[in-house]
Amino acid sequence: MKVLHQSQFFISYQCDKQRCFFIKFPHKTIQLGFCQLLAFRQQVKEIDLEAHFNGQNPHGMEMLMLCNREHFFIFNTLESIDLKEFITGTFAMLELNSLLTTSV
Amino acid sequence: MKDLVRQKLSIHVDVMDLLNKQIEQEAHSSSAYLAMASWCDHNALSYSADFFYEQAAEEREHMMKIFRYINDNGGTAYSPEVGGVNHDFKSLEEIFENALDQEIAITKSIHNLVGKCRKVNDYTTEYFLQWFIAEQMEEEQTMRRALELFDLMGTEGLGLKLLDERIPKIRNKNTE
Repeated sequence: MKVLHQSQFFISYQCDKQRCFFIKFPHKTIQLGFCQLLAFRQQVKEIDLEAHFNGQNPHGMEMLMLCNREHFFIFNTLESIDLKEFITGTFAMLELNSLLTTSV
Repeated sequence: MKDLVRQKLSIHVDVMDLLNKQIEQEAHSSSAYLAMASWCDHNALSYSADFFYEQAAEEREHMMKIFRYINDNGGTAYSPEVGGVNHDFKSLEEIFENALDQEIAITKSIHNLVGKCRKVNDYTTEYFLQWFIAEQMEEEQTMRRALELFDLMGTEGLGLKLLDERIPKIRNKNTE
């Protein structure tokens, strides 16, 4: 299993053997297929960080359900900010890997 | 490390995002045409109403084409939410002006998508989008022809009635 990207709270891995991805959250690690990773990315993209600071989301919590509702996560504002950076970084690394694979 | 993304997905991820945005735009366009059809129906402009009903169905077809393309190639298409559809119009001329503006916006969006495809070497999607480029050219021409009729026939009384009757003919000019 190879590390794709690490942020303050999260780490993503790629497993060539099982052809899937893993994400290590502070309290557990979950396995995701590519479609599930895409769905996760979409959910993170839809997080409105501005709402955490303008009073629209006063509790500052984000709730996400992943992998066909198998996992349920609650993130605070700091984790949500980190999550956005984490997903961008993970997909940037995947693209970099694609470029390297194509050019070899 | 294996390129798992490429194994699962034939489209570039950023292009997939733009295609999903295009789905939203086509859906909005379809709803906007329905609103126009409704206005025409209420104002006894039955030929124009039929024209916009057809346009609405066509835009939905475009949306579905993109929707299926994303899913067929390993991506995830998202069902769009449609809001903010305008139902208030001053005249039929204003409706056709809005329709032309809408088609121009879609054309720009498709061109932007093609530009992105070229940037990230997504030739598959670029090829897929060629059909949309030709289609948009026709759509713009159709709306322009409608607006030319207003210059020719006016927008009052009998002129408007005769103009409404000419509307079904503007679509097929190229194929006749």
